[in-house]
This record gives sequence, structure tokens and C-alpha cells, in this order.
Amino acid sequence: MASLPHPRAARRRTSSDDWVARGLILVVASYLVVTLIFPLFTMVTRSVEVFRFDLDLITVQFQTEAGWQAERSVQDWIEATGHEVNAGVRVSERSREQILRIIPRAEFQGVDLVRVHDRSDGRGLVMVAGQFIGGGNSWEGTPADLRRVQIRPVGEFGLANYTHYFATPTLRQSIVNSFAIALGTTGIVVPLAFAYAFALTRSCIPFKSAFRTIALVPILVPSLLPAIGLVYLFGRQGILTPLLMGESIYGPIGIVMASVFFVFPHAVLILTTALTLADQRLYEAAKVLNASPWRTFWTVTLPAARYGLISAAFVTFTLVITDFGVPKVIGGNVNVLALDIYKQVVGQQNFQLGAVVSMVLLLPAVVAFTVDRIATRRQVAMLNARTVPLVPRAHKIRDRTLLVVCSLMAIFILGILAMCQFAALFQFWPYDLSFSLRNYDFDRMDGGGWAAYWNSIRMATYTAVIGTAAIFLGAYLVEKAPRLGLSRDFMQFMAMLPMAVPGMVLGLSYIFFFNDPTNPLNTIYGTMAILVVSTITHFYTVAHLTAVTALKQMDKEFEAVSESLKQPFWRTLRRVTIPVCLPSILDIAIYMFVNAMTTVSAVVFLYSTHTALASVAILNMDDAGDIAPAAAMGMMIFYTNIAARLLHMATSRAVRSSQAWRQR
Amino acid sequence: MDAVAAELAEPYLVIDQVTKRFGPFVALDRVSLAVRDGEFVCFLGPSGCGKTTLLRAIAGLELQSEGAIRQKGQDISLLPPSARDFGIVFQSYALFPNLTVADNVGYGLVGRGLRRGAIQARIDELLRLVGLPDQGPKYPAQLSGGQQQRVALARALATSPGLLLLDEPLSALDAKVRQRLRLEMKDLQRRLGVTTIMVTHDQDEALTMADRIVVMNEGVIEQIGTPEEVYTRPATAFVADFIGEMNFLDGALTDAAAVRVGNLTLALPAPVASGPEVTIGIRPEDVRIDDAHGIEAQVHHVEFLGAHVRVSLDHEAFGPRGLVADLAQNLYRARGGVAVGERLRLGLPPERLLVYGRS
Repeated sequence: MASLPHPRAARRRTSSDDWVARGLILVVASYLVVTLIFPLFTMVTRSVEVFRFDLDLITVQFQTEAGWQAERSVQDWIEATGHEVNAGVRVSERSREQILRIIPRAEFQGVDLVRVHDRSDGRGLVMVAGQFIGGGNSWEGTPADLRRVQIRPVGEFGLANYTHYFATPTLRQSIVNSFAIALGTTGIVVPLAFAYAFALTRSCIPFKSAFRTIALVPILVPSLLPAIGLVYLFGRQGILTPLLMGESIYGPIGIVMASVFFVFPHAVLILTTALTLADQRLYEAAKVLNASPWRTFWTVTLPAARYGLISAAFVTFTLVITDFGVPKVIGGNVNVLALDIYKQVVGQQNFQLGAVVSMVLLLPAVVAFTVDRIATRRQVAMLNARTVPLVPRAHKIRDRTLLVVCSLMAIFILGILAMCQFAALFQFWPYDLSFSLRNYDFDRMDGGGWAAYWNSIRMATYTAVIGTAAIFLGAYLVEKAPRLGLSRDFMQFMAMLPMAVPGMVLGLSYIFFFNDPTNPLNTIYGTMAILVVSTITHFYTVAHLTAVTALKQMDKEFEAVSESLKQPFWRTLRRVTIPVCLPSILDIAIYMFVNAMTTVSAVVFLYSTHTALASVAILNMDDAGDIAPAAAMGMMIFYTNIAARLLHMATSRAVRSSQAWRQR
Repeated sequence: MDAVAAELAEPYLVIDQVTKRFGPFVALDRVSLAVRDGEFVCFLGPSGCGKTTLLRAIAGLELQSEGAIRQKGQDISLLPPSARDFGIVFQSYALFPNLTVADNVGYGLVGRGLRRGAIQARIDELLRLVGLPDQGPKYPAQLSGGQQQRVALARALATSPGLLLLDEPLSALDAKVRQRLRLEMKDLQRRLGVTTIMVTHDQDEALTMADRIVVMNEGVIEQIGTPEEVYTRPATAFVADFIGEMNFLDGALTDAAAVRVGNLTLALPAPVASGPEVTIGIRPEDVRIDDAHGIEAQVHHVEFLGAHVRVSLDHEAFGPRGLVADLAQNLYRARGGVAVGERLRLGLPPERLLVYGRS
């Protein structure tokens, strides 16, 4: 019976099924590589790209009646005239210098011809009418023609951008501002959300489901909207301005208040989950041991929720530090990191410095993301099937206090939204309070008009449909497809990465990568496709995790059974996996839709005149001073998302009732 | 030798020197085994012994690191599961929750060129076979655990596989149902004559159902034998300990036919070739109570276990663990019970002593 042992580690023969699965995972993994790794890599290289004018290598020679004069380098001229290169501004990729600006006009007296000699190698430094003359070549023309001659900077790699960044006090200040604002908001939101979540899960306050719904409302609007609402409430003509006692809403106060509004639902969701995991038996043990309610809270409740608290804190911190909408609208002259990226890129066209700020912003985002992942994993590990769920008991003082907290928070959230809606419907708040739909006449304003709104709906629909399909397929392959080996681990890692990348950083890296004319994917730049792609990638991770959770709940042997029955994996995917996971698939779709409607950060760098979006239109209208129309557009997004949510609820219900096997 | 003769000579399934490593951990260490056509074989062992890994290697769900697997004379070592001939029932049953019982059973019948009517007829036949003739339109969640198990079995048998693999198929059920299904499954297997391999950690299950038991521990096969063989003549101390109850006494051989345990000398049934250090094993039911020439020991504890009474006995030679003897209920009653502290004479019959070398 003895046969020779196999000489090498055995390699399995591959079935056609395996090839299909490998091909599909290759497609999804390449998608993430192309839409995430390549752009980020390009951005990193750009951040270490330094530009300067190499003016020693360009010489100028004059021809007068006396013939050709001696050559002088442009650098010579600069030293002689004291000209400030690039007007004293830091040289970037887009900087251009002109000989006419360097050599004083008086010097051209009696000059018939000018010869400019480019003594560099290769492509050269001198451009005439947009064309390089080439290294080693020269150009001749009249002094008047010299207008058309431009000098381009040369690029090299180095850390000068970083040293410049950290040597510039105004830029450095943004780091301090960003951290202070993010930490301050976290310090306010986490206790507030904890109290709110505690009230929802552990107390006997009335109207719990209403409070739960209200807490989640801010998810449905862009972060720009609460900032606009606060401008109306606390701005120069605000009805509540006296409450600020002379402080201005434009600045840290406004940023923190608006940030509290938009991160609140995220913190509440995390903490509600953490607090739902209470074990009745621990509380009974505490009671039997005569622990006071206060001691029970500190020794049982808080420790059980500790990973939820850590997770909520880091998620809040990340959301605030990476948000750009709030400081854009209400920041006044306070600069933060995310805003600096926008200003460097859109305002000053300094892409290299924008890349540097992005790298600085990426660091805390990656750290916070890592901590949050660890905390979430621990939290999940605490889930125990034998836990006896806690049934809250009434406690008069506690419940009343919590009711007050919840009511105040609900008023804050609804108040801001109501203010935006009123401002949108009045002729001119607060001076002319007659009803008008003038603010909805978006086509008369800058920002893209009603077309932007319809673009948003199209973009969100594509994102929801294509994104859900691709992300679910990717998660299915990672979780279920047999024999994928290392590509599974790679894909798992890739799927987690997008969450660590702030939207502004993603958007800027897309400019670098997709706007490069040598990139064959350049054609999608400026189209709807790049908006959809960036949004899918931006929100990939949470959707992926939702899909993974749903897939993990399915029996892990379904695929083995179907293989033993000689069925291709896609038949089981179609017949079993997708029908069973349909509710989660719908959850992913609504998540993608709502986020695509509200996102500003990545797309603000990527839209074109034909593909302006509603969220970007809010930004641009606010910028142009059309604040009421901006509020009106924000409320349009809100109502659209409400409609989408209702549709989602109706569909989910229909799915549940049409799938007979779900009824017991 | 021509091909037909070779096929006749070769058992249905041959596992040849199969090794499976997970990183540095060796889950299976050069395991070899042959299963005859129509045989019911149980892989028995504690959790982590490699029995499930071996089953999954046979199914192709796990690729062995080295070694070969042949089914009906064909080398299937490197084939994907879909190219192998087997049906499988998992511990969880893995029934598709959104498909009816009939659709579950018929799942593997699609795509084989069968007409709708033929498929339906086969489904009905299988459901009758497992005793669930009217349950076709129901969903799995509407069935009891035992019924679900039978649906899983019907689904695995639907395509008439040559080999049936069962991965702890009864462990999710409660004791009463489990006992009934043991008999039903064994009966069904005998009627169909399908070669079957079942993984279990439950020795009673293995002893009642298997034609042969493969006892495994830490990635190696400790013993292969009929239920009676592994119970009465366990090949190693591990098997002796794992299956049934066993007393162990440490001793040293004085010559080939006698062993010294403490201050006692015990005669052995046959000469033993082993180092001087040995472990002697004897089952509690083989210890003879009230043996006229026996060893005197003191009763330390008496435990009432229903069908029999377990008596723990102390003797200097037995060491701190002592020795336990099982007394059938009728014998116990006949001698008027056993009192704690009482001194008994007990015999250790040489033909019932098991001797294992100790290193």
C-alpha cells in the first residue's frame, strides 16, 4: 500500500468555479487598488515634489545696432535688479516666471532682437506660446515678443514642502486648531450621547422611539447645513445671538456647535449598541451585594460600555477633524487642517502643499481608525449568547433628568433644521418675513441650480446600485468563496483602508491621479463616473462591514454543501446567499444613497460644471452670500433622504413579508 | 495485474500517509487507513485530535500537506470537492433556510439533465426513505432538530454518492432523539450499502454504529478495530482511557510474566516484551469483588449509578488514585450492600489485565 510520498507540498487542481471566484476577487481588489492605493501613492510622491526656477541655465542676449551683446544669465539679471522671484510666493508646479518682469523695461532701449538660450537638458525650461523650445535650443524675437516667453520651474524630490509647512506659523496653527476643536467636540458629544443612549436603553422615559429617530436625523443632512442654521440662529441678525454674550458664532464656538450636531447620531448609535449589551444578572448581583445605584453605575455600567465609549470618542474625533463643511461655513478666520487642504488647492492652486496638509491630516485619522477597530473588535467579543437582557426599571429623579437632557438635545437638532426651513421659505429673514419660494429658484444662483440637485440624485442612485453590488460581491468572496488563499487576506485589508482616509485627502489624491494626462483613466476626470467612484470608495468600509456581518451569520458550510452537490458557487449565491442577506443589502444601499447625497469632502475637488452636486451647490451658494438658498438646498437633501429612508423601510417590510421562510 | 483485479484488490477508500500542517501545528501526522466498500467507519477522538481535518481532507475541503487519497482506485488527492464523489452532512446540517425541504433535498439534482418530473419523484423517494414523506413544502425552521437532520441526510444522499461523510451529525440533538436516530441512520446505511465515514467524539455513538472505529489522538491513529476490539483490547493507554472507564496502576516488570505494583506482584496472561516500567490497566467491571485469594483493600467511597454501583478502594499499592470497581446491581444486593470503611478482598484476573509500556 505504501506509495512514494509527494515530493513537494501538494497543489490542488483548480476547478472552473475557482477560476471564476479568483477572477471576480481580482476585479474587486484591482478596483480598490486603482481607486485608493494608486491615488494615495501619487499624492505621497507629490507631497515630496519641490519646485524651483533654475535661472542660471537661461541666458539672454540683446542685439543692438552694435551687434550681439554679451550673454547674461537670468539669475545675473535678478541679482542686478533685485527682482523677487515669483513675486515672493512659494514656487509651485503652476508657477511661471517671465523675463519681461525680470529685466527692467529701460534696458530694452535700442534693442532690436532678443535671444533667449535654454542651456538645460531634455524638455527644457523655456516655453514660447505654450510650447517648449527644448533644452539646448534658443529663441529669437523682438522685445515685444518676449511677452510670449515663459520660464517653467523644475521639480525635484525633497522634504522642503514639509519644512516649509512646519516653518509657517499660520499653517502650523491649523494643527493646534484642528486638535483643539476635535477634542473639544469629543469632550462634549461623548458624555451627551452617552446620557442620550443611556436614556434610550436603560431608563423608562416616554417617547423613546421618537427620541431615537430624532437623534439619527443629522445623518440625513450635509454637515454644512447645521453651520448655516447656526448662522441664522446666532449670526449677526440671529434671534438667539444675545445668548452668546458678545462672543461671535463665527469661529470655534460655531464649529464645535455644528460639529456636535452632525456627529451626534454616530456617537449615539455606537453607545446604544454598547449599552444594549447589558447583562441583567450582573445588576442583580450588584443589588444582592447592596451596591448603591451610583456604585453600580461605576462598577458595572461604565466598564461594560468602555469599548463603546472608546470607539465613540475616536469616531467623533475623526469625523470632526476631517470635516471641512462646518469650518468652511462658520469658521470665520479660524483655519483647520481640512479647510487648509481646500484653500491650498482651490484657492492658491498649490497642490504640493495641499498634499502635505493631507499627509498631516492622514496621520491622526489613521491612528483614530486603528484604535476604533481594536475597540470595536473587543466590544463584539463581549457579546455572549447567554447574556440575560436587562429590563430597565423606573427611577423618578434619574428618568426626569434624562428626559430633560434628551428633550434639550432634540430641540437643538430640530431647532436648527426648523431654522433652516424657515429661512428658506421667507422672503428675507429676518427683515421681510413674507412667504416666498424665491430661495428655491436655484437656477438664478451660482452653484449649479436645480441641475445640481438632479445630479445628486443620479449620483446617489448610481452609487447605491453599483456600490452595493460591488461591495456585497467583494464581501461575499472574502467571506465565502473557497480556496482564495492570500488574495482573501489582501482583499480584507484593502476593504478596511478607505475608512482611514479622510474625504478631502481622497478627493485631492484623485486630482493627482486621474487628472494626469498620461493616465489612461484620465477620461473619467470631470465626469459623473469619477464622482460615483470616489463616493463608493469613500464609504466602502462601513458597507463592507455590514455585508460581512450579514454573511457571517449564515452557516459557514453552505458553500461546502453546494460543492459536494456539484453546484457552481454562483447558483448558491443567487438562490440562497442573496435572498437571505437581502435586508442587509438594502441597508447597504440606503447607507450609500444617503451618504452620496450629503457628502461634500471628496467630491468638492472632482465635480465639473456639468456634474455639480447639491451638496457642493450649498457650499458655493453660501460662499456667494446666498445663504437662504443654501439652506433651501440643504433641506431639499434632507427631504430626499427622508423619502429614500421611507422607501427603504417599505421595501424591507415587503421583502420580509414576501419571504415566507422568515415567518415562523 | 490487470485493472479489474487491481480494483478488486484495492479497498474502496485508501488514505496513504496523509499529513496536514497548519503553520507549525501538525493536525494530521502520516495517517494511513483503508475503508472497504459498504463499510461504516467512525473517526473517534477528543476535540483537536484531527478527526474533522481528516474528514475534510477526504471531502477536498482541506488540502493535505502531504500524502495521497484514493477512492475506487483513482487518485483524488488534488481534486476540488466538486470533482469528488461524496455526500456530506454537517453538525449544523447547513440546510438552506430560504428553500423548502423539497428544494433542499433536490438542490443537487439540478443541472444533471433530469426532467422536472424525475427530480420530483427522486425527492419524494428520498423523503419517504428518511421518514418525512409529507414535509416537502415546509421550511427548515418549521421542523424539529431531528427532522432537520434527516432532511440534511436526504439531501446528501440525493445524488446517490459512493461515499457518505457525516461530521458529528447527531451532536446538536438531545439525548433521546440522538439514540433513536443512531439506530435509524445505521439501519438506513445498511440498507443502502453506502460506504460511510462518521466523525464523532461520542464513544457510545461510535460503539453502537460503526463497523470499525478509528481512534485518533493528536493527529495520529491510535487504533483501528471493531467496537469490540477497541473496547476489550485497547492498543494503547490512550485508547484504554478514552473509551470506557479504566483503572491505571504504575508498576515494573519483574520478568516477562509478572509485574510488581507497590508491594503486590500480579501475574500476567502472556509474556510481555517491554521496558521494565509499565502501566497496568483494568476496567472497573473486570475487578472481582470477594475473591477468596484477593488483595485486601478498604472501601473509601460508594457511588450509586443506577444499573451498577461504583466502589472506590484504597490500597497502598494503588497510589493516591485508588482503584474503582463496578458491581452489578444484583450482585450488590446479593451481598447485602457495601459499607464505607469495610475491607474487601478483590481479585485482578490476569486475562483481563492490559499492559502498556511507559517511557
